[in-house]
Parts: sequence; C-alpha cells; structure tokens
Amino acid sequence: MAVARIKFSRLGPVRYLGHLDMLRYFQKAVMRSGISAKYSEGFHPHQLMSFAYPLGVGMETKGDYFDLEITGAESGDEIRDRMNAVMNEGMKVVEAAIMPEGEPAAMAAVAAADYLVEYESGKDTDMAFLIGELMKQDEVFINEGEEEAEHKGGKKKKAPKDIRPGILEMRMTEDGIFMKLKSGSAMNVRPADVFERLLKFSPDQTALKASRLIRLEIYKEKDNTLCPLIG
Amino acid sequence: MDVSERKTALSHEILMKAEKPARYTGGELNTVIKEADRVKVRFCLCFPDVYEIGMSHLGLQILYGLMNSYEDVWCERLFSPWTDMDRIMRDEKIELFALESQEPVKDFDFLGFTLQYEMCYANILQILELSGLKFLAKDRKEDDPIVIGGGPCTYNPEPLADFFDIFYIGEGETKYRELFDLYESSSSKAEFLRNASHIEGMYVPSLYEVDYNDDGTLKYMRPKYEDVPVKVRKTIVNDLNECFYPEKPVVPFIRAAQDRAVLEVMRGCIRGCRFCQAGQIYKPVRERSVETLKKYADAILANTGYEEISLSSLSTSDYTGLQELLEYLIDECNRKKINISLPSLRIDAFSLDVMNKVQDVKKNSLTFAPEAGSQRMRNVINKGLTEEDILRGSKMAFEGGWNKVKLYFMLGLPFEEKEDIAAIGELCEKITELYFDTVPKEKRQGRVEVSASSSFFVPKPFTAFQYAPMDTMESFLEKASFCKKNVRSMHNQKSIRYQYHDAKTTIIEGIFARGDRRLSAAIINAYKAGALYDAWTESFSYERWMKAFEDAGIAYGNYIFRERTEDELFPWDFIDCGVSKKWFYKEWQNAKEGKVTQNCRAGCSGCGCGTFQCGICVSR
Ligand code: SF4
Ligand code: SF4
Repeated sequence: MAVARIKFSRLGPVRYLGHLDMLRYFQKAVMRSGISAKYSEGFHPHQLMSFAYPLGVGMETKGDYFDLEITGAESGDEIRDRMNAVMNEGMKVVEAAIMPEGEPAAMAAVAAADYLVEYESGKDTDMAFLIGELMKQDEVFINEGEEEAEHKGGKKKKAPKDIRPGILEMRMTEDGIFMKLKSGSAMNVRPADVFERLLKFSPDQTALKASRLIRLEIYKEKDNTLCPLIG
Repeated sequence: MDVSERKTALSHEILMKAEKPARYTGGELNTVIKEADRVKVRFCLCFPDVYEIGMSHLGLQILYGLMNSYEDVWCERLFSPWTDMDRIMRDEKIELFALESQEPVKDFDFLGFTLQYEMCYANILQILELSGLKFLAKDRKEDDPIVIGGGPCTYNPEPLADFFDIFYIGEGETKYRELFDLYESSSSKAEFLRNASHIEGMYVPSLYEVDYNDDGTLKYMRPKYEDVPVKVRKTIVNDLNECFYPEKPVVPFIRAAQDRAVLEVMRGCIRGCRFCQAGQIYKPVRERSVETLKKYADAILANTGYEEISLSSLSTSDYTGLQELLEYLIDECNRKKINISLPSLRIDAFSLDVMNKVQDVKKNSLTFAPEAGSQRMRNVINKGLTEEDILRGSKMAFEGGWNKVKLYFMLGLPFEEKEDIAAIGELCEKITELYFDTVPKEKRQGRVEVSASSSFFVPKPFTAFQYAPMDTMESFLEKASFCKKNVRSMHNQKSIRYQYHDAKTTIIEGIFARGDRRLSAAIINAYKAGALYDAWTESFSYERWMKAFEDAGIAYGNYIFRERTEDELFPWDFIDCGVSKKWFYKEWQNAKEGKVTQNCRAGCSGCGCGTFQCGICVSR
C-alpha cells in the first residue's frame, strides 16, 4: 500500500471539462493503464483518488496533481509511462512519484500556485505599468460592492476581501502575465480576480481580455519555503 | 498535428458562456480524426437531442465505428446545441459544425440523422437551419449534403418525407458500404438518389407520389418511375457474430445518460406484445454467441476504462446464453472492480441470485412490466406475464430482503374497461399484502414500497394495434384519475405510490406515429413558433403544436381517433418489414377476442419473417 502522486497537464480544448469530468477521466485512465489502484469496499467500489486543487472550467494546466492509493510496487516512472500510454488528446502525465510515509495529502498541502495569463489588449496597453501600479498598492480589495447570489430570499453583500497579501509575485513575461498566488484554506487568491483588478488601472478596459489561463505549478510549504507538490 | 492545438469552432469567450462547453469541443477518448482531404466521403452523424442523450445511444456508436473503419470515409458526430448555445449561435451567426473536425456541417457529403422518437422532429429543423440548409430536400442545392435518416421512426418516415433525401430502413451495418460506393461513382445528386433507391432498404421519398381520398385516407402511393421499387424491404444483419461491433466506443468526458460499456446480446424479441413496435420491426430474434460477447466485453473494458458494464437487448431474460454470460462477467468484473448494471430481468430464482451478487438489495428495487392490471387485458395485449408470475417473483424477492417493487402499466389500451384499470390498484395491494404475509414483523426493514407508474398508450405502425383508435386526452386523464383514486382507496395505500406520464406529449406522438406527408407543414409551423426539445417537458408546448396543425389545415384527430379498417392503405404500407399486414390484422382480431399468440420460441405463428432466413426462424 502506497500513495502515488501524479502530476499532469491539460492543454487545448480539454480545458473545458469540469472537475468531476476530470475525476471520471482519470479514473478511467487508471483503469486502462492497469495500475494497481486500491479500491473502496462495498457494492460499488471506486478508486481512492483525490485531486490537489480542482481545475475550473476553461483553465489549462501544466502542473496539477492528484493522489492515488495503490496496492502494488510500481515506481513513479512506471506509473507515468503506463498512464501516458493510455492518455487522450490534450492530457499528459508529466511526472509521478511514490510519496514517503506520512506525507500530507496533496489537497491539504496546497499553499500556492503559479499562473500564466495570456491576454488580448489594445495597442496602447502598457501591461508592465499596470502590474507595477497594482503591486504598489498596500491593499487590493475584491468583492467591493458585489452582491452574493440569492441568499435565503434576501441579497447579502459579500464581505470585501484584501487579496494583496496573497499576491506573492507578478511580472510580465514573453508569453503573458506571470502570477504566484497564495492558495489553500488560509488565503486563496484566484488569478481571474487579480486580472480583473489590473483592469482598474487600465485606461482601455474593454479591449483587455484574458484569452488563456494556465496553471503552471502547485506548491506546498516545506521548511518555510515553497516547493512543488512532488519534490 | 498536435491535437492539443486542435482549433475549436467556438471561441474561448463563447465556450465560457455555455452551460456545458464540453458538449461542443469533441476530442473524447476513441474519437477518430482523419485528414479531410484524404477521404472521399465525409459523413456527419447526428443524434438530434442533447449530447448526453445522444452519446448514450449504442446505434450511434455502431455507425460511427463502422463508417470510420472504411478508409475512404470520415464519420463525425453532431448533437443538437442546447437552448443556450442555440441562442448564441443565432445571435453570433455561427454555422453549425461537426465535433471532430469542428468544420461546418454544410461542407459534408452526408448529414445522417438517427430518428429515435417523434418528439425530436423539431430538432431536425434546428440542425438544418443552424447548418444553413433549407428544410425541404427539393430546395437544397446540388452540393449540399445528402440528408439521410435511420432508426425506428423511419418505419413511418412520411411526416418527415419532405425534409430527407433518403431514409435508410433497417439495420445500419449492412448497406452503407454499397451506398458510399455508389456515391463515389455518381456524377449528380439526382443520379445517386435514383440508383440508391435500387439498394435494399433505401427509400427515396422524392421518387414517389401520393394522393389522398376525400375522407383524408391515403389513396395511393406509387413510384414515379418504373425502376423504383414499389416496396422497400428492410435490410438486416443475418449473423450478429459476423457484423461490426464497436469495441472502441467513444467515451464522453461529461457524464452521459449511460456512462458505461454496453453489450448488445441480441436483436429482436421473441415476444409479440401487441402494442410494441420494437418487438416487430427488429424481428427475427438473432443472438450473439457468448464467446463473441466475452471477447467484446474484454476489449471494450480495456479500450475505455469504463467502471461499469451493462447488457442490452429488448428482453435480455430471453437470451439463451444469459446464465453463462453473467457467470463470466460476474467473475471478471469482481476481479477488475467493475460494476455490472443489470437490465430489468424477469424476476425468478436465477435473476434474484444474480442481483443479490451485484447490487445492494436494500437500495435497489425490482421491476415488473405487466403493462396492464388485469389478466384479461394482458391477454388482449399478449403480454405473457401472469399475476402468478408477479406474485411468485415478489414473494421470492421479499424473502431475499428486497422491499421495493416497481410496476409499469399503460392506460388507454384497446378494449380497456374500468375493471381493468381498477385491477392496477388491486395488484399493487396484493403485492403489499404478500409482503406482510411473507416477511415477519421483526424482519421488516423499512416500509414496503410499491411504485406503480402508467404511461398512455400510443398505437404504432407495424403492430397489431396499428388499427386501433387512440384515446382522447380527456379520456386519458379520466382514466388516470380513476386509477389514482382507486389506488388511494386501497387498504395499504400508504405503501403504494402511483404516478402517470404526461398525456399531452402522447397525443402529439400519436399523430406523428401514424401520420403522413401532409404533417411536414405542421412541423415547420411548430418549429418556427419555437418548438425545440419537445422530449423535454420544460420546453414542450402542446398549444404550440395544436396551433401548428390548425395553421397547416390539418385535422389531426383523423390520424389518431378513428379505428382503421382492414382494407385501408396506410402511409407506411410501402415498407416491407418482414411481418405481413395480414398477420397484423389477424393479431388485431386475436386481441379483440383476448386470444393469446405464442412467442417465437414456443412456436412460430407465421408472421412472415421466415423469408429473412436467419435467427430464430431457422434455428427453431
Ligand atoms: S417483451 Fe414485449 S414489450 Fe418487450 S420488447 Fe418484447 S414485444 Fe416488446
Ligand atoms: S416467422 Fe415465426 S419464428 Fe420467425 S419471427 Fe415470425 S413468428 Fe417468429
């Protein structure tokens, strides 16, 4: 009995799957691969599989993870190769590793994630400037004046939240905007929210649109530093 | 091509607005991508309902796999855009596209519809319109796709005749190769269609002319040319072990109605229930061998990774290899941790034992389909299930720990009397009593639950009841409320649940089931007035259809409410489904007299299918 941690990418049109679709997809893939997955008891046994961080519909990834309990002695490389032999268009296992005993579950360990936002903009948008403006702020509030969906008959205001402490890093790269954002139960920052705040500083808001959102890596905290979920 | 770079026809922005964007992006496991310029025939295979329904259909997977096994053909899939996407596509003027290549339907050689139920007819027009194609075949251009239809509704294709170039009558495995060869060698659409009509099973509606009598009945239907056959004979597979089976079915990403591997164990049904069209049009019964099925099961599971498998046929209990097959599957599936989802089997010691092994008894219910409450009525409809069978089965089940029973009935059957309807409640009551008699108090877990539901009967072509008048809506509702009251008056009524299906849809289904060519005008009217997804209660409007008939000058009552005589010419008579009209009429007489006809295995009743020279007709 061991826990295998599997790092995968999803790129292209498969990005429109929901979280449950991904779960079903990988359960079937594990089944096809013949990996020695452990099953729950009962009339409808299922694999013991849990994802680190649900992927939203439309988001791509180069570094998402799930944990899978196995009964055999497969190595990480073997799992990766067997999975990749049965993958589908757009999905790929990047890496797999057997976790040391006592390693916290991927889902519980998530502390931060990297993102790349590709965007379309008007000619005059100076993205580096916008990023600079945002990073200069001491506080960046979301949910300001926004109303939560119908709540027991009446509408309730969402509490404004300062996400600035959760924006660990943000800069322009050749491909788009790179963001390192805090994730997990204590502070969870969504890249879409950050991108939207950026618009506030843009003189040309309508022309600015995120066209692709890619999660690049998910981190856990180890000895006060961030390191990828495998590693 | 790097498939992850595959382009989608819809932009990211539009997809993000869709309720379920994965309905439109394709790329599922086992889809087939070919190079468009390397194939000679591009076939767009459409199931005119939402993705999750269409992808659950075995017939679609069969045709998809079969056609793609031809090197010169690329078959792609298409489903009805859901209402949200329908609106977006109209607003943004986006042409409808096939899933695999994401290219416009309009550029295909064929657009094929599988026609499973009448309530999808408006959706056909949606597909045509969003594809930029004219509704009427005669208005479409030379290089527009050939529009072809298949499936059970083609056993009376007349209400759709004006929209289609060809109807393929019979089983898809047999004639597509011949049809494609002909297409590749034809120099014009007209030439192709004319020659296609010579292939068995192909009905080209434009090559026939019809006229009507003053009373609205059909006067004649005849070929316009001498070389076009007067009768179109359905085409079938002789040996199911020899024909194509999809061992690599496409596996949807999003949860489809059927999210599992499917084994079709046989085709056809030995039982001749007189209301049932499927039982007649798929005759004669042909079985797959257990060996073949084992091979398919292994291959499909390996190729898909499905965690559940189920058996499919019209009446799986009648499959002669059932015990052997299930023993194998239970063994294999236990080992591989795969669930077996059982179809509704006839309840007996064997099936209860099997269910015990594969399901949680406490959670599952047993299903019976007596279809009618009284024995007299079951004789009329030739349903070979007796009250004794039901009670014996229920007793065994109660002893085995089950306490939920489901019963299916029909209301509005020919020759039905009040007593027959009352018998529904009485049968439910007897089952609950049986529970209290069988299971001692201390062993009862939860309350016994009997759920009865009834649908309203629709007379269908190619059944003994094709002659029968259908009930009016008032009569349907009266009967249902009488049935309900009766159930409520039972002593154990707290343990009995009763519900009935919608009567309004039934009326519309009835009209199309036995309708004729004049109905196409009404379909266009209804569609233009907003009809779409009529199989979904939330989008169905009875009033819209009624107005559509009225505006087309159609007295719809004539199609459903009158009894038809022996000598009437029916719009579907030009189809030779194997069973003779004489036999159907005899069965109609037998129904009147409450006389039972034996099933094909017990003895041949000479229906006419012997001429196919296969299946049970020769093996008996
Ligand atoms: S058992 Fe009766 S209702 Fe069922 S498929 Fe056969 S003929 Fe039809
Ligand atoms: S010919 Fe006889 S055995 Fe064959 S389908 Fe008809 S009734 Fe059944």
